[in-house]
Amino acid sequence: MAQAKLPRRKIAAYFAEQLLAGHDVSKQVAAYLVESKRTREMSLVVRDIEAALADRGVLLADVASSHDLAADTKAAVTAYLKHATGAKEVHLRSEVDPGLLGGVRIETPDQRLDGTLRHRLDQLTASKV
Amino acid sequence: MTTALPLFAAGSLGDIFTSLGIDGQMLLFQGLAFLILVFVMGKWVFPILLKTVDQRQEAIEAGAKAAEEAEKKAAEAQEEVAKLLKEARAEAKDIVATAKDEANAMVADSEAKAKTRAEKIVKDAHEQLEKDVIAARRALHNDTIDLVALATEKIVGKTVSDAVDKKIIAAAVKEEA
Repeated sequence: MAQAKLPRRKIAAYFAEQLLAGHDVSKQVAAYLVESKRTREMSLVVRDIEAALADRGVLLADVASSHDLAADTKAAVTAYLKHATGAKEVHLRSEVDPGLLGGVRIETPDQRLDGTLRHRLDQLTASKV
Repeated sequence: MTTALPLFAAGSLGDIFTSLGIDGQMLLFQGLAFLILVFVMGKWVFPILLKTVDQRQEAIEAGAKAAEEAEKKAAEAQEEVAKLLKEARAEAKDIVATAKDEANAMVADSEAKAKTRAEKIVKDAHEQLEKDVIAARRALHNDTIDLVALATEKIVGKTVSDAVDKKIIAAAVKEEA
């Protein structure tokens, strides 16, 4: 009997709830995606899981900067994200990209803040007529 | 005087002729010849002469008449020529006036067209100049942006320290908050 195809949002919600409950179901979900031949949706599922976690007060944010962020800078970013999104818990995934020149770029599942000098320069260049 | 009187008083007429040396017969004969001559002349010669004279007279009169006619015709022809000349002058004057008016009209038309053309050229030149100025300003604007972006990238990439970066991040977060 063919197994019904679960929507990504349901998978993400299940994963988020289990993760917050302290259960790691990543292997189970991965097995399901392999079995149902939906491995190409992996990145979309991960994005939906992050969104589901954000809906439950746990925010995963990608933070890119040209230099390693200091602890107080990370704290400031975390405080900003809590204030901006209402999240109770914030986890940062830091990345160093010298091409950003300066500043920080923060990406959450549903928004993006680009305060890098590279972005400013790109905006300046895009203002050409 | 005393010698002639005795001649008339003394003899007959024949004697007188004889005394004068005139032959009576000869005189008669000569008179007859004269009459015959007069008759012949009056009968055949004079009419021819008179006819010739009349013809000559007629020819002269005809010539005079023809000359008079010719003079009259010449006068008429002169008048006609004068009239034609007058008309020709008037017509020539009209033609010249018309040509002058047409020339003036053509000159005025040409001037108007030239003026319109010149105004259009000036207007097009102004428009092209404005376009060129706008394009130059745009190119300058874009070149300035490229230059500023390039210079900023080169300078900032080397001069931004951790402390400066920290301030930039704090400012960005504060701005968004």
